[in-house]
Amino acid sequence: MSIPADLKYTKEHEWVRIEGDTATFGISDHAQEALGDIVFVELPEIGRSVDAAEAYAVVESVKAVSDIYAPVAGEVIEVNTLLESEPEKLNTEPYGAGWIAKVKMSGNSDELMSDDEYTTFLEE
Amino acid sequence: MRFLPHTDTDRNAMLESMGMNTMSDLFADIPKEFHLEQDSLHLPDALSEAAIVRKFTQASEQNRHAGNTRCFLGGGTYHHFVPAVVDYVISRGEFLTAYTPYQPEIAQGTLQTLFEFQTMVARLTGMDVSNASMYEAATATAEAALMARRVTRKSRIVMAGSVNPRYRSVTQNYLSRLEGEYVEVAMDGEGFGTDINNIIAAIDEKTACVIVQYPDFYGSVYDLAPLRAACDAAKCLMVVAFSDATAFALIESPGDMGADIAVGSGQSLGIPMGFGGPHLGLFTCKQKYVRQMPGRVCGMTFDADGKRGFVLTLSTREQHIRREKATSNICSNQGLMCTAAATYMTLMGDEGLKAVAQRSAAALHKLISSLPASVSAAQGAHFHETVLSFSSQAIRDLFLQEARKRDIFAGIPLEQLDDAVEHKHLLVTTTEMIEAADIQDYIAALEVAV
Amino acid sequence: MSVDDTLNTYSAVGGIQHEEPLLFEHAHESAEAISLPGVQGDISDELKAFARKKPANIPGLSEPETVRHFVRMSQWNHSIETGFYPLGSCTMKYNPRVNEQVVRLSGLANIHPDQPVDSVQGVLALLHELQTWLCEIAGFSDVTLQPAAGAHGELVGLMMIRSCLDARGQQHRKKVLVPDSAHGTNPASAALCGMHCVELKSGADGRIDLEELKKHLDGDVAALMMTNPNTAGAFESDIKEICQLVHDAGGLVYGDGANLNALVGVARPGDMGIDCLHINVHKTFSTPHGGGGPGAGPVVVNDTLAPYLPVPRIVKEGDDYRIETQDEQSCGTILGSIGQVGVLLRAHAYIAAFGANHLHKISQDAVLNANYVLHRLKDAYHVPFEGLCKHECLLTDEYQNKHGVKTLDIAKQLIDLGFHPMTVYFPLIVHGAMLIEPTETESKATLDSFCDAMLEIAAQCKAGDTQVLHDAPIKPIRRRLDETQAARKPVLVWSD
Repeated sequence: MSIPADLKYTKEHEWVRIEGDTATFGISDHAQEALGDIVFVELPEIGRSVDAAEAYAVVESVKAVSDIYAPVAGEVIEVNTLLESEPEKLNTEPYGAGWIAKVKMSGNSDELMSDDEYTTFLEE
Repeated sequence: MRFLPHTDTDRNAMLESMGMNTMSDLFADIPKEFHLEQDSLHLPDALSEAAIVRKFTQASEQNRHAGNTRCFLGGGTYHHFVPAVVDYVISRGEFLTAYTPYQPEIAQGTLQTLFEFQTMVARLTGMDVSNASMYEAATATAEAALMARRVTRKSRIVMAGSVNPRYRSVTQNYLSRLEGEYVEVAMDGEGFGTDINNIIAAIDEKTACVIVQYPDFYGSVYDLAPLRAACDAAKCLMVVAFSDATAFALIESPGDMGADIAVGSGQSLGIPMGFGGPHLGLFTCKQKYVRQMPGRVCGMTFDADGKRGFVLTLSTREQHIRREKATSNICSNQGLMCTAAATYMTLMGDEGLKAVAQRSAAALHKLISSLPASVSAAQGAHFHETVLSFSSQAIRDLFLQEARKRDIFAGIPLEQLDDAVEHKHLLVTTTEMIEAADIQDYIAALEVAV
Repeated sequence: MSVDDTLNTYSAVGGIQHEEPLLFEHAHESAEAISLPGVQGDISDELKAFARKKPANIPGLSEPETVRHFVRMSQWNHSIETGFYPLGSCTMKYNPRVNEQVVRLSGLANIHPDQPVDSVQGVLALLHELQTWLCEIAGFSDVTLQPAAGAHGELVGLMMIRSCLDARGQQHRKKVLVPDSAHGTNPASAALCGMHCVELKSGADGRIDLEELKKHLDGDVAALMMTNPNTAGAFESDIKEICQLVHDAGGLVYGDGANLNALVGVARPGDMGIDCLHINVHKTFSTPHGGGGPGAGPVVVNDTLAPYLPVPRIVKEGDDYRIETQDEQSCGTILGSIGQVGVLLRAHAYIAAFGANHLHKISQDAVLNANYVLHRLKDAYHVPFEGLCKHECLLTDEYQNKHGVKTLDIAKQLIDLGFHPMTVYFPLIVHGAMLIEPTETESKATLDSFCDAMLEIAAQCKAGDTQVLHDAPIKPIRRRLDETQAARKPVLVWSD
């Protein structure tokens, strides 16, 4: 199971990459494996403001639907439209081509876990 | 009892194997006070098979029906010809007594039939995709309104007053417990048609969709292009309802007219009138809205050996997965009626369907051309249905009596369906089951009455 | 699969299973299969202006080709007529053929719904009699036959509950309590009624936990929706207390009648305090499922809810029947017709065949069969909730999990052994659920051969002989289908 060191994680198995005031959201390798083959991703609208821990996207497997929660608060500035045609990228490249959305951060990231903390969290 | 295989010996052996003595041991978990005494239900005793047939035959003979009358009734239910093959196919136990195809490996018959049904319905209505049925047209119309709310995230529904009153009342009722506005646009006077300008005037930026019927409840056929433009301007959906799908083999389809969602009745596609059901609700839409569509849908895929096959798909929209966020609460649909419609359309093809529609319309044209001067028919293009207006209710009702004497059901008194109108109109419908001689008799009855 | 193989399978077809292309792949021009009646004259010039320009492209086959096309496809289906169908919560019982015969009488099949009422007295009499029978069997005072299916009945039931609460001035009551074992239609129906669901966690025995229920009973509760027996196959023995608690809190109790097959002629939900109940006639009263429908979901109500029944209604005055279309208090119109009449008439014929003297045998044999299957399988499969079951029994794949075998594998292997699988992964309150409902129309020999097959699968797991389970099924015309691909890139219509 891959857990890149340059990302931060939530207990709901989302990751976030913070660069300046821009945060990129995705789901962790563990999450994609638990969800199974993903068949559809419902992306947020650009310009929408989301709170930390608010559901901002929905992913569907064949027989399940899961809300995806925002790791930090902000305004959605870009979404990964590739996922509309190739939702399987969430399974194959969860930390790369499978990113979901970028937001302009308005809150802080204090509650997030480091890669080590997330590894420990998963082991528990 | 002839439907139960067990003998008492079987029953006793099974009870004994479980360490039980009597049948009542099986119900020990139901509180004693609720146990019924044997034979305490106030119902008749069992009937033999022969007695059931006799009872139903006697009941059926009390009814008049399209088999021993001439039926000029429509209003959403139509007496079209049903080929014997249709009933044969849906009587086959493998179609009739199968469950919903949740185990696709052993339900490919139902699934491939559904895929063919969806394809033919989409082609006939001119739409991108079809689902695998709704109950009937009125609830399908209500579901279309709900879908438009989801797609647009707006909640105001504009309904044309020329939509079948039953579709309107069910839709209004479905929406009445939810937030949002429902607006019905009254049609002018007694023209019995659709006034597109009135409808366009009712659209605003909060509108999720406009629902019109085409051909409308009065059989009127009209151009939807101005409404399409108005819907684009207001970013709302255009929902087109219809009551007889055979029309679209003859006239431009809802898809041709630019509908976003088209819903209606498929009863005309090989399903008997049956006093109101089971009929078939059709639901079609543009591809881009497919994930907001209600109901089951069948899709193509491949099996582990790479052979083409079919499965129910996009299930995450449905109640068993999404529960309160589902696109609809529908579970059982009208599956067997899809098989009937698929068989019917296969027998008919483009040519046969067009002939059905053409003859239905030709009969109406002949009827209208023969009307006495004191009876008027609604103006403009009509498919196979129109409104006849009489000088008074007394004369109309006298005509209905004269027609009954000739075994003719001459039309539906309009006020029975729409209590806002004067009691002197008749909704009259023709199909290919009406012969030239029937029209002559109809006119003869009219001439006696007026 | 070779021809020899197919001849040797369990298939009830008894002949050769054929591949059959899609209708659209049959390689010839539209044939004329039908000779039509009617007027061959001209249409109006006004209508001609709207002529369809491009044909719909519906191929059309000759009559012999059409028959062969659909009959071949029918032979790919499992059905209750060809084999055992133990789907829990679905009540797949034998559908009497005489019912098919009588509903096709022209005086029943070819009536227009808007014929004058004096011309339809025969069908109205049959429907009215069915109304009184359903009330009597379920223990209620009135009924609507109109709902088109069980889920539609739920919606109508909740609409009536809404109207009743509104009439009491309690518009604010919008909370619907639903056990976590409920059918998915329950929360979906509540949402359509502008209400919201709160899930009740089931107790350790799979039943409603009275303490958990009490916690949620407050001034906002509109209704409790419950299935009894519940979806784990267990009777809610506290039913009287449950109804009392909900009523004391000012709410109403909605009964999901999907499992009525356990109670016919044995006990009546209306006597237990339930306010309204939908009846799936396509389950309990044996109207055929048709590959997904049509069904019918009449709703029976007690005196509290009777004023709010939908319109139209069939009423009897003296010796005459008429259709009432207006009522101020009614919850409104819910369907474009009086109901799925053909389905309802089959239910009538079914109840008539049993009568007061035999109806209880339906549920007695159904419950006997389920308990017998449970008894035979309880050592080989994990039973999550001990005790009697009613008309269906619940197992899980817990023991088989240790050998890497899941419920899905067991289900697919059953197909190769000649049986339709049970309901899988429902109810959601246990992991790897297998819900088995044999119904009363199966013989002891069929039950035994099914149990033997289940025991064989359990033995295969124990022996570590599991590859065959993962590969199953291999005998039907198609093997496991790729549902992921179907959902990712949906192909819902054929393009030439």
